[in-house]
Amino acid sequence: MTKTRNEIRFLLNGEDVALSQVAPDETLLDYLRLRRSLRGSKEGCAEGDCGACTVLVGRLTDGKLVYESVNACIRFVGSLDGCHVVTIEHLRGEAGKLHPVQQAMVDFHGSQCGFCTPGFVMSLYGLWMKEPKPADAAIEKALQGNLCRCTGYEAIMRAARAISSYGKVAKDPLAVERAAVTEKLTVLRDGSRVEIGAEKHRLIVPADVDDFASILESEQKPTIVAGSTDVGLWVTKHMRDISPVVFIGHLDGLRTISEKDGLVSIGAGVTYTEAFETLSKRIPALGPLIDRIGGEQVRNMGTIGGNIANGSPIGDTPPPFIALGATLTLRKGKARRTIPLEEFFIAYGKQDRQPGEFVEAVHVPVPAKDSYFAAYKITKRRDEDITAALGAFLLTLARDGTVASIRIAYGGMAATPKRARAVEAALTGKPWTEAAVEAAMTKYAEDFTPLTDMRATAEYRMLAARNLLMRFFAESQGGKAPIQVSRHRVA
Amino acid sequence: MSSEIAFPSPQHRRHGSSAGQPLTRRDGVLKVTGRATYAADNHPEGMLYAVTAVSSIARGRVTALDVEAAKAHPGVVEVLTPANRPPLSHDPDDKIPPFGFRVEVLQDDTVRYVNQPIALVIAETLEAATEGAALLNPQYEVESARTGLENGERFDTPAVGVGAPSRTAYGDIDAGLAAAVRVTEADYVTPPQYHNAMEPHAVVAQWDGDRVTLDMPNQALALSCAAYAAYFGIPAGNVLIRSPFLGGGFGSKAILNGPQILAILAARMLDRPVKLALTRAQMYGPVGHRGQTWQKLRLGTDGEGRLTALHHHVLAATSSFDEFMEPAANASLPLYASPAILAEHDGLRLDTGTPGPMRAPGEASGSAVLEVAMDEAAIACGMDPLEFRLANYAETEPGTGKPFSSKSLRECYAEGAKRFGWSGRPLEPRRMRDENGFLVGWGMGTAVFHCPHFPAEARATLRADGTALVETAGADMGQGAWTALAQIAAEALGLDPDQVELHSGISSLPDGGIAGGSGHTASAGLALHNAGVDAIARLAELATADPASPLFGAGNIGVEARSGRLHRRDDEGRSESYSEILARAGQAEVVGTAKAARDPAVAEAHALFSHGAVFAEVKVDPDLGQVRVTRLVGAFAAGRIINPRLVRSQYFGGMIWGISFALQEEAVTDRRTGRIMNADLAEYHVPVNADVPSLDAILIPEDDPYVNPLGVKGVGEIGITGTVGAIANAVWHATGVRVRHFPIRLEDLLVNQRDVTSAFGN
Repeated sequence: MTKTRNEIRFLLNGEDVALSQVAPDETLLDYLRLRRSLRGSKEGCAEGDCGACTVLVGRLTDGKLVYESVNACIRFVGSLDGCHVVTIEHLRGEAGKLHPVQQAMVDFHGSQCGFCTPGFVMSLYGLWMKEPKPADAAIEKALQGNLCRCTGYEAIMRAARAISSYGKVAKDPLAVERAAVTEKLTVLRDGSRVEIGAEKHRLIVPADVDDFASILESEQKPTIVAGSTDVGLWVTKHMRDISPVVFIGHLDGLRTISEKDGLVSIGAGVTYTEAFETLSKRIPALGPLIDRIGGEQVRNMGTIGGNIANGSPIGDTPPPFIALGATLTLRKGKARRTIPLEEFFIAYGKQDRQPGEFVEAVHVPVPAKDSYFAAYKITKRRDEDITAALGAFLLTLARDGTVASIRIAYGGMAATPKRARAVEAALTGKPWTEAAVEAAMTKYAEDFTPLTDMRATAEYRMLAARNLLMRFFAESQGGKAPIQVSRHRVA
Repeated sequence: MSSEIAFPSPQHRRHGSSAGQPLTRRDGVLKVTGRATYAADNHPEGMLYAVTAVSSIARGRVTALDVEAAKAHPGVVEVLTPANRPPLSHDPDDKIPPFGFRVEVLQDDTVRYVNQPIALVIAETLEAATEGAALLNPQYEVESARTGLENGERFDTPAVGVGAPSRTAYGDIDAGLAAAVRVTEADYVTPPQYHNAMEPHAVVAQWDGDRVTLDMPNQALALSCAAYAAYFGIPAGNVLIRSPFLGGGFGSKAILNGPQILAILAARMLDRPVKLALTRAQMYGPVGHRGQTWQKLRLGTDGEGRLTALHHHVLAATSSFDEFMEPAANASLPLYASPAILAEHDGLRLDTGTPGPMRAPGEASGSAVLEVAMDEAAIACGMDPLEFRLANYAETEPGTGKPFSSKSLRECYAEGAKRFGWSGRPLEPRRMRDENGFLVGWGMGTAVFHCPHFPAEARATLRADGTALVETAGADMGQGAWTALAQIAAEALGLDPDQVELHSGISSLPDGGIAGGSGHTASAGLALHNAGVDAIARLAELATADPASPLFGAGNIGVEARSGRLHRRDDEGRSESYSEILARAGQAEVVGTAKAARDPAVAEAHALFSHGAVFAEVKVDPDLGQVRVTRLVGAFAAGRIINPRLVRSQYFGGMIWGISFALQEEAVTDRRTGRIMNADLAEYHVPVNADVPSLDAILIPEDDPYVNPLGVKGVGEIGITGTVGAIANAVWHATGVRVRHFPIRLEDLLVNQRDVTSAFGN
């Protein structure tokens, strides 16, 4: 029988916290600012776009304590059981001095109006602990989710490069206290289910995956929350009632990544950040794509499983996974079924998920050595932008140079992530030549009728989608045409 | 006694001056530690939370609100609607000069734009107030919304911007066009843009009898106090505004808005402190924006590429109920020599919130279009864009013939072009590709910004320990005023900046003028300078009249303040420290005060502008139409530079705003409902770090003996001018596609151009 307790327990800076009164939709930022008077973290957008509320959340992964930057504005308090929350107020340097990150930001003029500054400091703090001497690319990646309207980015970049000249990570309080915090968090994870509230104000933190499965079978229309980068906005932007909420981001049983027989299996609770290492190593073309999903905070929270399960037509992982031939395991109680990923997406807002069922894992085949895979995300803004269109291609050529198989999938072109089956059919068995590709480009109208919205017009989407196929062809011929123009350079 | 003291001349800089030094900002430590207190960080005891319920329609009437449901929600204390809103002492439909706007404070049930406040819910918790507002469930009588430039109601207007004439004519435009060898003519469109300061507008209001304390971000403390006093029927001195930190303003925090007035009213009504903070979405309506424009340019040129006529006609949008029209055509007045210039504006009424000043109001959208038109004219003349601008260089102010107080634009062109590597640029488009096959284009634009000066006051107190306290009610919204103003004061006082404590950002201090118009450093700075000079003069009086002082009798010769000591001008060896002088005089301190304003005669006799030149490189993906700015070089001349580090970051900020004007910023309105579909930071794009390319801002030295006694011009807004056009021109140079609307979108460079039809007929 699963033990149950009625409080969320976590560490906040240097303090043990146990909360028995927590609304299922209470955000960490509201908790910090309203209940705890910790007002260094700012609210700039309340939907995870600006990063002014960035804090660090430390949690145990395979027994190791990992701190990551997150957006407090869309992180629910209920998801923090067994975590260590670190806010700007907790930073300190040696002997009463400023923390190295803070001193660098002061010296390099890294703040202007200052409202975004605590968020930038926390993002840089998170980076510095992982990479004390980061390359520019790493700094840029860490700052993708922080907006500065004074646009003082260059000064912040300079500060970021200099942090390690102000102090050593080993002397940082979080490093010094690592063992003690690890021990505390280990104790907090007592294998209990947490249940708080009643009626329309309920939250449940399952003890483990089996417990989660049984909860889903008994609860009426629960909202499953993994990373809350989507559901967070249901609350802060749309004021939706999400009770009862079942938090699953902590479930170790859903946080596994395994490789077997050329198949990478990713548990539904694995975050983009956690999946990055394996996916970018095994399927290199996915690395730059994952790097451009949201910002660092969103990647630290958001899960691959959530990106699939929410069924968005512009989610960034389904098209490449579909092109790669991924399958999805769904579970209901003890029963599991595995389906091709594209079959999960039935229509806009409708997925093949039964009541009581949940996405357990996605299995992504690693492309064979003789096949060629690429994925392209088209956005207007370089980073932190919602996809206008995303195309993914997996090509295997026969020995005679004809197309043995090709799988093409797009996001942003239809009501669901969708394969270009007519285009695929037009290419299959044909010689892989420019002429064949051009001929196949006429088939897009059979596969897609995209919409016009503020991200792009239908006409643009159609043309860009076709051009991506041609680009894929060119690249498969050894043509050099990266999608991103070279990035930040400092004079 | 306060005094107005003329600073001798900028050439008379004291030895070891702190002004001109790249000091880091004084408020940095508070900001990096999260200890800088912004308005919404204040939580006085007993505080209530206010949340506005806002309209979801653009035009019509509220017919019903379920006030009972809202009031029945636990924690809700009061619901303000037009039915019970307490009276104000000043008619909200009557604008308070000089910068007043009509405010929406529940004066009736009319809805004029989406996100207009239609009720205010006050509750014990933020959650209860938010829930209460949701429970109001408004019912509307809906009228069709007038959205989009072609659907508005046009009207004639005598004024644009803040009291600028809507029509200015120099010479005979028709004759100029008739004399032209060729006329380049086109229409252009700029979109509505929103300030989107990182800090949402917020206020915490606390009443004590007929006195009120307001914690709020505010760019114009004294003016705001007077306006609040009018609305609430109390003396201006009874309004205390505390605005130590502003999380950005960009113009949107210089103007009173309805939600804040309602929150203050609620605090008085309920006799408890009330906090209101707008959500990001609620900032798309009642707190101003850059209005959209439809602009037509006609440039006549002669056989040598010299302008014979420059006609800039602007249709500028405003709301249905108030007027703030982008003075965009006026951007064409001070820049290029032409025997005939006509700048004119018409108004256009739309069902939106009222536009307001947003970083470089008028100049930004006018310059964007003018610089593109100049590029088109240069191409028509077969000339290099820079050569074309030099051929039309204005040696005196076009039209008026007034001399410029200083103008180093030639140097800006030369230095900028050199640093960028402009020479050798092919005239034809689509001639450059990078190693990855991307199309590469180079473009340029001229930057110009006027130099307003606001009256300001300050106080400087020299203390017995040799340090000083200087005070003025200025505002630091990120530009670094706290630092630059202290540097100016320190220089006047002969002290190190570390010895000078600056108090600012609270309305009880001497009026520091407005932090706007790029005029704050000059305005508040001159007041502080003069106050410092006054304090030193008083100290000198003490010393030179005291037989025990080594400075005794130096009255006529004069003394000089340096490093905390007064020195005889004719004898360096005879000096005395401030502390010694004060101690012997038995005084704890000596106080200098000053008022400062521009000498109207100087302004009348000169044209006062900062100048610059911006060069841009873009790369365009030929298959996908994605545009990335890869290099920006700006060279700016803005008089004397107090703090190059701060100034450079202001230039960068302006230039990056130019990037987003050219490529990103646009509020997209649903034509049917009038709702803004991207009222957030996810889809209203502002630049992220990766959008910011290699940036270079060159500070061109410039001495200006006339603009003000400090020789300081403004730097906060000029960066956006010039840059927008430079980028658009670079996009043309890369692709051969001339896009005449902003922002330039993905599809513009790939599918086909959205032609801009003429707003004015032909």
